[in-house]
Amino acid sequence: MNPSNYILLSAVLFSIGAIGVLVRRNAIIVFMSVELMLNAANLSFVTFARMNGNLDGQVVAFFVMVVAAAEVVIGLAIIVTIFRTRRSASIDEPSLLKY
Amino acid sequence: MNTGTFNPPEIDYLAIAPILIIFGTAVLSVLVEAFVGRTARRPVQLVLVIGSLLVALYFVISQAGTRTITANGALVIDGPALVLWGALLVLSLLGAMLMAERTLDPSGDVFAARAAALPGSEDERQFTQRGWVQTEVWPLFLFSVSGMLMFVAANDLLLMFVALEVMSLPLYLLAGMARRRRLLSQESALKYFLLGAFSSAFFLYGASLLYGFSGTVSLPGIAEAISAKPSQGPLLILGMALLVVGLLFKVGAVPFHQWTPDVYQGAPSAVTGFMAATVKIAAFGALLRVMYVAFGGIRWDWEPMLWVIAILTMFVGSIVALVQTDIKRMLAYSSIAQSGFIMLGVIAASAEGLSASLFYLIAYGFGTIGAFAVISMVRQSGGEATSLSAWAGLGRTSPVIGAVFAVFMLSLAGIPLTSGFVAKFGVFAAAIESGDTWLVIAAVVASIIAAFFYVRVIVLMYFSAPAKEPAVVAVPSAFTTIALAAGVTVTVVLGIIPQPLLELVANADVFLR
Amino acid sequence: MESSRFIVLPAPLIHEAPEHYACIGREGFHKRAKSFSYEQGAIDPVNVYTPILILGILAFGFAAFSIIIATLTGPKRYNRAKVDAYECGIEPTPQPMGGGRFPVKYYLTAMMFIIFDIELVFLYPWAVAFDQLELFGFLAMALFLFNLAVPFVYEWRRGGLEWD
Repeated sequence: MNPSNYILLSAVLFSIGAIGVLVRRNAIIVFMSVELMLNAANLSFVTFARMNGNLDGQVVAFFVMVVAAAEVVIGLAIIVTIFRTRRSASIDEPSLLKY
Repeated sequence: MNTGTFNPPEIDYLAIAPILIIFGTAVLSVLVEAFVGRTARRPVQLVLVIGSLLVALYFVISQAGTRTITANGALVIDGPALVLWGALLVLSLLGAMLMAERTLDPSGDVFAARAAALPGSEDERQFTQRGWVQTEVWPLFLFSVSGMLMFVAANDLLLMFVALEVMSLPLYLLAGMARRRRLLSQESALKYFLLGAFSSAFFLYGASLLYGFSGTVSLPGIAEAISAKPSQGPLLILGMALLVVGLLFKVGAVPFHQWTPDVYQGAPSAVTGFMAATVKIAAFGALLRVMYVAFGGIRWDWEPMLWVIAILTMFVGSIVALVQTDIKRMLAYSSIAQSGFIMLGVIAASAEGLSASLFYLIAYGFGTIGAFAVISMVRQSGGEATSLSAWAGLGRTSPVIGAVFAVFMLSLAGIPLTSGFVAKFGVFAAAIESGDTWLVIAAVVASIIAAFFYVRVIVLMYFSAPAKEPAVVAVPSAFTTIALAAGVTVTVVLGIIPQPLLELVANADVFLR
Repeated sequence: MESSRFIVLPAPLIHEAPEHYACIGREGFHKRAKSFSYEQGAIDPVNVYTPILILGILAFGFAAFSIIIATLTGPKRYNRAKVDAYECGIEPTPQPMGGGRFPVKYYLTAMMFIIFDIELVFLYPWAVAFDQLELFGFLAMALFLFNLAVPFVYEWRRGGLEWD
């Protein structure tokens, strides 16, 4: 199996995530898109670890998983707080801050 | 290297003592939250925070002049790192002072009594009445500071990513904890979080492509790979671009600046002041290190990119700031414009550029934290008077605060005899020396535009009739007074006798590889 | 030769020592491979995976055995709680359009689960290479676990583990 296919897959996943962040309106889904981007980076790290022939990339992937989990928790806490206040998780509704 | 045995990394614990102290105290203060009674928590936390910052600062000063690479090259404690550590610790100390303030608001603390209580609910009213305070802000604050310290000393993309998150995650929460205008505050936390997470994903993907290119995540390793490989290829350029996008988000450069005004406006002023000063320093520290250490060999590839971004940042920041009606929002756009000016030092890609950027960051940090200290003091019935119209005539009703704020505005505008002038002069000179004359001309035009809105505030404070509902300056406790005094002293002293600091940063003009 | 800067994990499952396992060296690799008592240079993947296969069969067998024996021997007294989707007593009420509501406590539990669950990912590589990591590895992991215990203690003391 050609490893560059995995790189291609990770690029596609990253793009899907980035587009998701930009076009989706539900905070949870935006947030899931961010997680997709992080995991795309993980896939790319692991594949490059295989291609480069050292383990650094795999170690990075472990750290990214842990950091992403911490991010999930912080993010959920913030989103739940907003949801409880506004009864909605749409990111269009919080719009008090404008220029 | 051909051994099957594990070689534990050699760690110079003394050199990284500041990080360890702050991080250890953060863990300790989580335990304080768990085991100390409700009323005693706040004083204990304050002692821990201020004490640990001072001890860490002592360790930084005691190491002045030393250069260390430790933890298998993952952490580099060199001249710029030590200077930035000092600046970060002092500014964090001032930020902690602002966050500890509780006499300005008649209802008490800067932060919500319970961040989890619904805004406007009966619960919230009761918590506030009982005088509860959210002491969890202190561990969060310390974690954030430890992340910043790690961020500017990280010599490795993995450590940099972890440090970036350790720095940012607590700040997302702190931004959402304001006591007044909680909806705004929560909204700013959401925006900060979503865009911050988005940007760190870019950083990470860029790091993965660079790892693919060079086979290592260490910055000197990437530099080696760049010089060793004849063709650069898309992996390097794309990876660098994505990595830099992630960093530019944190710096607040156009077109990645959208979160800045919202977060600066919504977050409690104390947090905004702390964050505006320190995050900018930490992010620029990391940006400088990445650009100089890892990508120094291909500066011809990234300079055009940063040229465009620097010009956009300076002009968009300055022009949009002109039309702002909210003082916190105006300062947010001002901080965007300042990022553009500091970027001149990055683009210079020289020893002068590095030391000028360091000076600029320090001058900017003190000016900004002082300005937000003033903002936290100028109040109306419903909290802080952030609307610019309420500031009309403030210079006449409270001359001291008016004068102090005018000093900060003049410094940010870069008027002589303030630190801002010396700083701007430094980065402009460095950029000219590196042959970026056109960029400097653009920067001068932008700073003239920027001067308009800084001076506009001064004119408003001194030459306008007081508004119908004029803001009043609340009397602060010793905490804010110290922060304000430190801010204004540094701003003026660096403007008149900048020599000592200039010499200090001139000695710290090389990144250790 | 590029080498890993973090930790060094030998890879006994690979047919031949790849060029890049410079961190333990070709000799080290083969020494390691020998210690699994396979012939040098010709590790048969079938043999290597056999224990895993046996473990899988055992696990499947145990699960199948338990289910069958339980259905054969267990008492069968049906009541309302028994036929619920969740035997713990939570009503699986149909969710109204647009999400519906459930207590925010679930989020707290979920968040705690995520954080404490994922952090343990570091234990796996550590456990695999535990014998080679010496005292440094042990102390580092002890420190890590202590740091993980601190938020747990906070959570517990501040009532995060109480449902009501």
